[in-house]
Amino acid sequence: MIPIDIRPDKLTQEMLDYTRKLGKGMENLLNADKIDTGVSPKQAVYKEDKLVLYRYDTPAGVTPRPVPLLVIYALVNRPYMTDIQEDRSTIKGLLATGQDVYLIDWGYPDGADRCLTLDDYLNGYVDRCVDFICESHGLEQINILGICQGGVFSLMYTSMHQDKVKNLVTMVTPVDFQTPGNLLSNWVQAMDIDLAVDTMGNVPGELLNWTFLSLKPFALAGQKYVNMVDVLEDADKVKNFLRMEKWIFDSPDQAGETFRQFSKDFYQKNGLINGGVVIGDYEIDLKNLTCPLLNVFALQDHLVPPAASQAMKGLVGSTDYTENPFPGGHIGIYVSGKAQKEVTPAIGKWLNDRS
Amino acid sequence: MNEDSFFSNDWMETQRKYWESWIAMNRKAMGLEGGSQTAPWESALEHWWSAVSPAAPAASKQFMERMMEQGKSFFKMAETFLPSAGGGGDGWSAFSKALEDMQKGFMGGLGGGGDDKNAMHRMLAFWELPLDNWQRMTSSMSPLFPGDLLRNMPHDGMQEQVDRLLSAPGLGYTREEQGAYQDLIRRSIDYQKALQEYSAFYSKLGVKAVERMRAYMQDLISSGKTIDSARAIYDDWVNCCEAVYAEEVSTPAYAQLHGKLINSQMALKARMSEMVDGQLGALNMPTRTEIRTLQDRLQETRRENKKLSHGLKVLQAQVEALASGQPLAPGARVKTHNVPRAALIAGPAESKGAAPKKPAAKPTTK
Repeated sequence: MIPIDIRPDKLTQEMLDYTRKLGKGMENLLNADKIDTGVSPKQAVYKEDKLVLYRYDTPAGVTPRPVPLLVIYALVNRPYMTDIQEDRSTIKGLLATGQDVYLIDWGYPDGADRCLTLDDYLNGYVDRCVDFICESHGLEQINILGICQGGVFSLMYTSMHQDKVKNLVTMVTPVDFQTPGNLLSNWVQAMDIDLAVDTMGNVPGELLNWTFLSLKPFALAGQKYVNMVDVLEDADKVKNFLRMEKWIFDSPDQAGETFRQFSKDFYQKNGLINGGVVIGDYEIDLKNLTCPLLNVFALQDHLVPPAASQAMKGLVGSTDYTENPFPGGHIGIYVSGKAQKEVTPAIGKWLNDRS
Repeated sequence: MNEDSFFSNDWMETQRKYWESWIAMNRKAMGLEGGSQTAPWESALEHWWSAVSPAAPAASKQFMERMMEQGKSFFKMAETFLPSAGGGGDGWSAFSKALEDMQKGFMGGLGGGGDDKNAMHRMLAFWELPLDNWQRMTSSMSPLFPGDLLRNMPHDGMQEQVDRLLSAPGLGYTREEQGAYQDLIRRSIDYQKALQEYSAFYSKLGVKAVERMRAYMQDLISSGKTIDSARAIYDDWVNCCEAVYAEEVSTPAYAQLHGKLINSQMALKARMSEMVDGQLGALNMPTRTEIRTLQDRLQETRRENKKLSHGLKVLQAQVEALASGQPLAPGARVKTHNVPRAALIAGPAESKGAAPKKPAAKPTTK
C-alpha cells in the first residue's frame, strides 16, 4: 500500500485554491507600496567616504543610558535587516531598553573602494566612528554590538582598542570558520582567492547572492515562492515578504582587498583559531579582549553553526563571558516574533547591568 | 472584487465553472473508465494560464509565469505519484514506476543511453534550479559572456586535435597575439569542462534524491502515515533533495569541483580582461591595469594623509596643553573630530522624565 492518498477532486481543489490565491495576490503585489528600508527614525551624524554613521532617535518616554551602543553590521548585507519592519526591529527593541543606538551604514562600495583593507575598515572607519561617539558624549568608552561578520570586526577591534570599549555583544558571530557542516567554508577551500580578486577587483554582490542561494537552492529559489502564494492574499504579509526579498538580493559589492584578506585569513586559514591575522600594525590576539562579552547565537543557524560562535569562549581574555543561545536561524534571530520578545530585552538588560 | 481589479467577478465565475467541470470529468475517469491522461494536471494549469495570461498586466506577466512554473512543478510531482498515473492497476507498481522514470531521467545525464550535451534539459526541471542560479549569476556579471555561452562548445572526441592546434607556437609579428588567443581558447575549454563536470554532479544528485524519496516513502508506510496533498508531496520532495544536496556539497570532492568551476571562470575572465586592456591601450584609452595602479597609489596616499592629519591634531593638542600650563599625560586621548560644543548630546541628568528630542550632532564629512 503506497502512502499517497490524493484524490483527483482534492487535487483539483488544491489547484483551484492555488490559482485563486495567485490571481488575488497579483492585486496585492501590483498595489504594494514602495519598500522602505528601515522603520525607526534616525539622523546621519558623521560621514566618511561612503560610510554614514546614524544615530537613532530615542523613543518618547525612554531615558537613554549614559553609555551609547554602536552597532557594527556585516559588509556582505545591508544593515536595515535589524530594523526591517515595525514589529520585527532589533533596533527598536534596543531603543526600548534605553540604549542610545548608533549604527554604521557601510554603503555600496564601487571600484574606487577596491583597495580598502581590513585595516582601513577597522583602524580607520570604525575607530573614527568610535572616537566621534566618545567625543560627542564626553566619554572614554562605548558599548559595541557586532552582527555576523560585523561581530568578527568587533572582536578584532576590541582586541586592538580595548581602552575604547566598555562592553561587547556579538550576535551570530563566527570565530571558528572550519567547524563540521560549514558549507561556505568547505566551498572556499579550493578557491583561488587571489585569482578571483585580481580578476574581478571588487567581488560582485551577485556572486554573493548565488553563494547564499546555493546553501539551500531548492528551498530558497523554488519552494519559498510556492510558499509565498499562501500569503499573497494578505497585503501586509505581501509587503513583509517583499521587504525580505529586497534585503536578500540587496548585496553590496565587496571591496576586493578586504574580501581577499577575510576569505584567506578566516575561511581558508581559520586565523582566529590558528593565529596569524594581522590588521595594520596589530597581530590579532583575542586574549587582549578583556571587557564583558555577551555572545548571542542561533541554534539552527546554517551559516554560523553554534560551535563556530561558541569557540570564542576559549579565546578571549574576558572574565565576564555570557552565552545566550536562541532557538532559531541566522535571520530568525532578528525577524522572528520570539526573538523580539527574548533576544533584544536580554541584550538590553545585560548592557544596562554593566553600563 | 471589483471590475477594476486584476480579475473581474465574471471572469472568476468563469474560472470556477471551469474547475468544477474539471472535477466532474476526473471523478468520472478516476480509475474506472477512459485511458490514462498524459500530464492532465499540468495541462489543466497550462490551459488555465493560457486563458488568463492575455488579461495579465505586462508588468506582472513575467512574475506570474515564474509562479506558474513553480506551481506546475509541484502539481506535476503529485501527478507522478497519483495511483492512476501508471494506467491503473497496483498502486505500488505505479509508484515504483514513477520513481524509476525519474531515475532514468537523471541517468540520461550520466550517459546511460542519453545525449550528455543536453543532460540538463532532460532532468526534472526542479533540479535545474542550482545550475540555473549559476548561469543567471554569470550572465549578470558579464553581458558579453552569458552563462550558457559555451554550452555546446565541443571538446569530447576532439581533445587531441584541439591540444595540437593550441600547442602550435605563434610565428611572426603577431606571435604574442596568437599566443594570447590560444590561451583564451584553452581557458574557455577548461571552463566548459568544469561546467560540464558540475552539471554531471547534479545528475548524480538527482538519482540519489529519488532513492531518498523511495526510502522516505517506505518509512511512511511503516509508520502508517499518508500524504494527502500535492503540496505535501512537493515539500517532502524538496526536503529529500535538500538533504541529499547538503550531504554531497559538504564533501571535499565537491569543494574541488566548486573551486575548479570558479577558478576556471576567473582564469577565463582574467585572460579576456588582459586582451581588452591590450585593445584599449592600442586605442590610447585608459586601461584597467592603469586605473588599478592609480587606485592603489591614491589609497596609499589617503592612508598617509589621515595618519599625518591625526598626528597633527595630537601635536596641536599637546602644544595647546603645554601653552595652558597643563601638559597632557603620556598616551592621553585627544579630540580629533572637532564636534562643536553646542551640538554635544545632553547627558542623562538633563533628560529626566519625558526625554526631549535631542539635537543631532552636526554631520561632519571627511
